[in-house]
Amino acid sequence: MKTIKRNLSPATLTRLAAALLLPFSAFAAPTDGSKIPALYQENCASCHGADLGGFIAPALNADTLKGRSLTSLRTLTMAGSFDTLMPPFYGRLADDDIRGLVSYLKATPKQANPAWTLEDIKASVKVYVKDESTLPAKPTYQIDDINNIIGVAARGKYGRGEGSKAVFINSVTHQVIGEIPTGTAAHIIDYDPANPRWAYVKNDSAELFKIDLYSMQIVRSVKTGFNGPSLGVSRDGKYIMAGSYVPHNAVILDANTLEPLKTFELEGIDPDGKQVSSDSGMIIGTPFADIFAIALENAGQVWVVDLKEGFPVTRIENVGRHLHDAFLSHGGSKLMVASYDDSIVTAIDLKDRKIIKKLEAGCVPHVGGGSVVEVDGRTLGFGTNFGDCDKMVVSVWDLDKMEVVKQVPVSGGTESPAAHANAPYVAVDIISKDRRARTVQLIDKKSLEVVKTLDVGGHAYFPEYSADGKFLYISAGYNGDEVVVYDSNSLEKIASIAMESPAGIFSHGRVRYMTRGLSPDELTKRDGDKGAK
Amino acid sequence: MNRLALLSALTLGLLSFNPVNAAVIYAGKEKAIAVCSHCHGMIKPSVDAPFPSLAGRDLTYLKSALAQYRDKTRKNDLMNALAGSLTDNDISNIAAYYAGLKIK
Ligand code: HEC
Ligand code: HEC
Repeated sequence: MKTIKRNLSPATLTRLAAALLLPFSAFAAPTDGSKIPALYQENCASCHGADLGGFIAPALNADTLKGRSLTSLRTLTMAGSFDTLMPPFYGRLADDDIRGLVSYLKATPKQANPAWTLEDIKASVKVYVKDESTLPAKPTYQIDDINNIIGVAARGKYGRGEGSKAVFINSVTHQVIGEIPTGTAAHIIDYDPANPRWAYVKNDSAELFKIDLYSMQIVRSVKTGFNGPSLGVSRDGKYIMAGSYVPHNAVILDANTLEPLKTFELEGIDPDGKQVSSDSGMIIGTPFADIFAIALENAGQVWVVDLKEGFPVTRIENVGRHLHDAFLSHGGSKLMVASYDDSIVTAIDLKDRKIIKKLEAGCVPHVGGGSVVEVDGRTLGFGTNFGDCDKMVVSVWDLDKMEVVKQVPVSGGTESPAAHANAPYVAVDIISKDRRARTVQLIDKKSLEVVKTLDVGGHAYFPEYSADGKFLYISAGYNGDEVVVYDSNSLEKIASIAMESPAGIFSHGRVRYMTRGLSPDELTKRDGDKGAK
Repeated sequence: MNRLALLSALTLGLLSFNPVNAAVIYAGKEKAIAVCSHCHGMIKPSVDAPFPSLAGRDLTYLKSALAQYRDKTRKNDLMNALAGSLTDNDISNIAAYYAGLKIK
């Protein structure tokens, strides 16, 4: 979208400079000296985008709110929107502030992409534990295997505050073993594949936390941008790459210190031949090589970054229109990238750095981490599709032949599939905006049919199996306020863990099986013969 | 004055579905899920929210509070708008749901 540059008065510039000293209001460029832009940044930006351009919630600016009545916008802000993540601000913000906010939003264009440079990132590094040698040598709590840890991104009702945290659970006992406050909603949790003690958590305002799982505390943090969900860890655990929607860049960090090493401006020629500046889609490290792959959402390109001197980039163009997320197979040598706008998933060979094939998906494919299972000698990939349309399916592909096996009919749009080598079903979350959103459907790996629907409650999403495959964890999100645990075989409900607005669930076991559904042995075998099959 | 008429309109649809042969508390739960939990939580309100907790409260109190919001003898823009469309049955059901919750 075109951004509008305005001339700032000297007084505004002074205020802007003052604001820049405060990391959170850095982006609030006051136009009339009012406190409203800062209120927006503090209360709304983590969901609606620091640039008013939308993030996990719709864009709120002069363009998108054109023709809307101030009264209805005010009522909505006050009471929230039922069955969505939009919280009620009644009692949290004064009526005058709510009026001020909606008038401001209705009158203000989407803001220009702000600068957040390597220097800004560097200056934002915070050190909580100076001397890491003082950390305990093993977990300070009872756990048989660190892979049994499951991390849940608890959003908190307002997307910020006390309810916003990363909650770590022992998936054998279903007890909480640690809670890490994240300021704004925790969004993604990733683990160091080389050293079991480190976890990385990114929140909705693009802050990244390095967590010591043994002592359950934050060791360091860094602000990588203003909004942006993507995060990857390299196979040797030495590098992290984080990408943003605001601004349009990505950064490689030293995983140990969180010091930034290189930033990348995300821009390129899209499949329609236009030069565009792009949001960062998924970023992924792979057991296959010392690389990161990053999807440029709007440019429709996947970049492969080599983790060596200068971090050179190989651009793979024409991957699709509006890329989003992806998953790996074949020892991490093949990458399956979802493209929203053309309803395909594009298979990429990370060895040759070429497109293998574009495979048909359902409507608006959102693979959400994907699943890969070995059944009867075939390697099957499962992809969810979150569009609500005539054809509501979960796509199943043969990843050796790279062809569609089946489009499995399900009851609605889906966002994320979960599978495990030892569990019989692939679980998919139905997210269509009505009672179906309470449910998760289970697809039998062999028959590729839906065999059961679980009524989980809340807005049920992000299913995830425990590392041993015995338990299925599901977030009863939005107002459900609990994570529900099922037995993977009997599908009996066996535990519930209370937390505010739980969302993404991330098993530490993922570092062993790379993509959910594969067995760890398979990964070792494939790694051994360099992913060739 | 009903400055939040719009909100009533918004919630009317959600509040006026019929519990089909369901247990009374289940009917109450359905409504709590659909509407009340947005502010008061399914079990408890957000730690960051300014809304009163309803779980485990006295049944008679909850019922009378809701009746008062409905007839506007107790004044609060939001609750007046929300309770305005509740039937006596709704009030009993929802109150029974929240009163029956155990606070952990
Ligand atoms: C926790 C995330 C979150 C936060 C924080 C948040 N919103 Fe929202 N907001 C949403 C979502 C999700 C929607 C879409 C709701 C729907 O689909 O009905 C929304 C919708 C809206 C809408 C209606 C937009 C439209 O086009 O209909 C307005 C207005 C709005 N929000 C204002 C605000 C304001 C003002 C703030 C800060 C005071 C705020 N929101 C904070 C998540 C959030
Ligand atoms: C948009 C937010 C919102 C929603 C939705 C909401 N409430 Fe309330 N509720 C409030 C507020 C604010 C108060 C405090 C009002 C006051 O000061 O009297 C309140 C107060 C109450 C009280 C009185 C509690 C006390 O301690 O005296 C009851 C009972 C109640 N609500 C029940 C409900 C029920 C039942 C529903 C669903 C039909 C509901 N509320 C939905 C915001 C809400």
